[in-house]
Amino acid sequence: MSLEKYEAVIGLEVHAQLMTASKMFCCCPNRYGSLPNTNICPVCTGQPGSLPVINKKAMELGVRAAIALSCEVHPESIFARKNYFYPDLPKGYQISQYERPYSTHGHIVVQLKTGEEKRIGITRIHFEEDAGKSNHESYGTLVNLNRAGVPLIEIVSEPDMRNAHEAGQYLRALHSILRYADICDGNMEEGNFRCDANISVRLRGADKFGTRVELKNINSFKFVEKAIEYEIQRQVFAVESGEKIIQQTRSWNSAKNITEVMREKEEAHDYRYFPEPDLPKLVFSLAWLDQIKKEMPELPQETSIRFKKSFELSDYDASVLTGSKELANYFESVVSHSKNGKASANWVMNELLGRLNAANKEVESSPVTAIQLADLICKIDSGEISGKIAKTVFEEMFATSKDASSIIKEKGFIQISDPIALESAICKVIENNPSQFAEYKAGKVKLLGFFVGQAMKETQGQANPALLNELVKKILDR
Amino acid sequence: MLSREEVLKIAKLARLTLTEEEIGFYQRQLTRVLDHIQDLNQVPTSKEGFVQHVPSDAQCFREDRVEPFLNHDGLINNAPVVENNCFLLPTLVEHS
Repeated sequence: MSLEKYEAVIGLEVHAQLMTASKMFCCCPNRYGSLPNTNICPVCTGQPGSLPVINKKAMELGVRAAIALSCEVHPESIFARKNYFYPDLPKGYQISQYERPYSTHGHIVVQLKTGEEKRIGITRIHFEEDAGKSNHESYGTLVNLNRAGVPLIEIVSEPDMRNAHEAGQYLRALHSILRYADICDGNMEEGNFRCDANISVRLRGADKFGTRVELKNINSFKFVEKAIEYEIQRQVFAVESGEKIIQQTRSWNSAKNITEVMREKEEAHDYRYFPEPDLPKLVFSLAWLDQIKKEMPELPQETSIRFKKSFELSDYDASVLTGSKELANYFESVVSHSKNGKASANWVMNELLGRLNAANKEVESSPVTAIQLADLICKIDSGEISGKIAKTVFEEMFATSKDASSIIKEKGFIQISDPIALESAICKVIENNPSQFAEYKAGKVKLLGFFVGQAMKETQGQANPALLNELVKKILDR
Repeated sequence: MLSREEVLKIAKLARLTLTEEEIGFYQRQLTRVLDHIQDLNQVPTSKEGFVQHVPSDAQCFREDRVEPFLNHDGLINNAPVVENNCFLLPTLVEHS
């Protein structure tokens, strides 16, 4: 199979749940995990005679998302009914937007592993309400309408991505932006950030798109990448063996690592979209749009630029440290106490993130608090302990959540900066290594490092490194 | 005239099984409905359709406040069968 001859064309649709207190068109709580059918009312269960009223906060969060994704916001847009039959859709239609969404023409710039940046277009963002939840049991289907009417935005990308990595990076960037701006909590397990992928393959350089397949509801970044990877190979293999790709919806089976057919695609006009007669045109006043723009929270890219400027960080460091809002906040807290940007960045990225990853923990549940880490960095900067000892201390801090001071005290890790104590250690090393000493004296100055290393060992790593270096040289040359 | 295939597709979307006789019946009846809509299309309307009747200053937003509806049991008890406080239906295929 020659994958190189082909290229994939990928577009993503993301449904993001808006962080409101109440639902989109009624006053029921927008809350996950309540007892089934306790957050419901006549509006969200589609009782005759009930009417929707738009939640202002949901509109505000939607506009915020549009601004964060560099989209145009349209002062006038229209809600539409999307009609289909399914029991978790009690009204028989979903209130959505179709021909005139509130926002179009945006983009995100994503970082690729090659070091390059890629701009990925956003076709549109529209408002819609969520459907209820169906649980399929052996004896029947259980319908819970707590989620029916929960406010969503659907973010539709341009078919600009060409491989699974680009799609993964787009999703990560989008997820991070929505979380930074307090639009969506991004919880993928609870279904608050869901992704559908449209994938087709074509011969490299062809301008026509192949028949596309839709992958539905994949709930982790890793699975999205795996599912797309699998689907590209499946389609290339099918095309190569003369099969026709059928337009269909498939789902990712994470146990078997394959995609499986869910259903044949219903054509768009089967949804019989028409303007929602129960709602007026959606109108945003320019004054309100201005106010939302003014109150925009800082976005990851802006945080990254500020970090680079204030703490003299590299592009790479700044991009890692702004990977999530929680991590950026942690780092800011460390640096505001340690007053050492570069060291704080190194400690957070190398020591903390490494250990968190290995322990499968998020920064929010780090056993070492930002203040504790800052305190450790201050102890290195003041010369109380060496950087090398600090690593050992940190390991202990991570395991026990204790402060650096108490670990240093318990283990007797105080750095030795007393010249007399160091001199006796150095002399001992020279006595124990007479032949190396003779070689040094005969001109093999490279051996300086050897003596410094041995002397450091002699002090159990507690010697002040700068002072030790100086003294070793002085004593050897005496 | 609507084709036999078109009628069968609509029936499938509506989850209906039709007899031969009904297929012919609906071919004629649905065609008449569509013809009537063709007539309605003569009426000049804009793309916004019947949203146009609402004046544009009628925009009314609701503040984001929770006011729980207390009679949710009343809503659930409309259902023919309830199980674990859920509406129980015959087994369905996945759709989302």
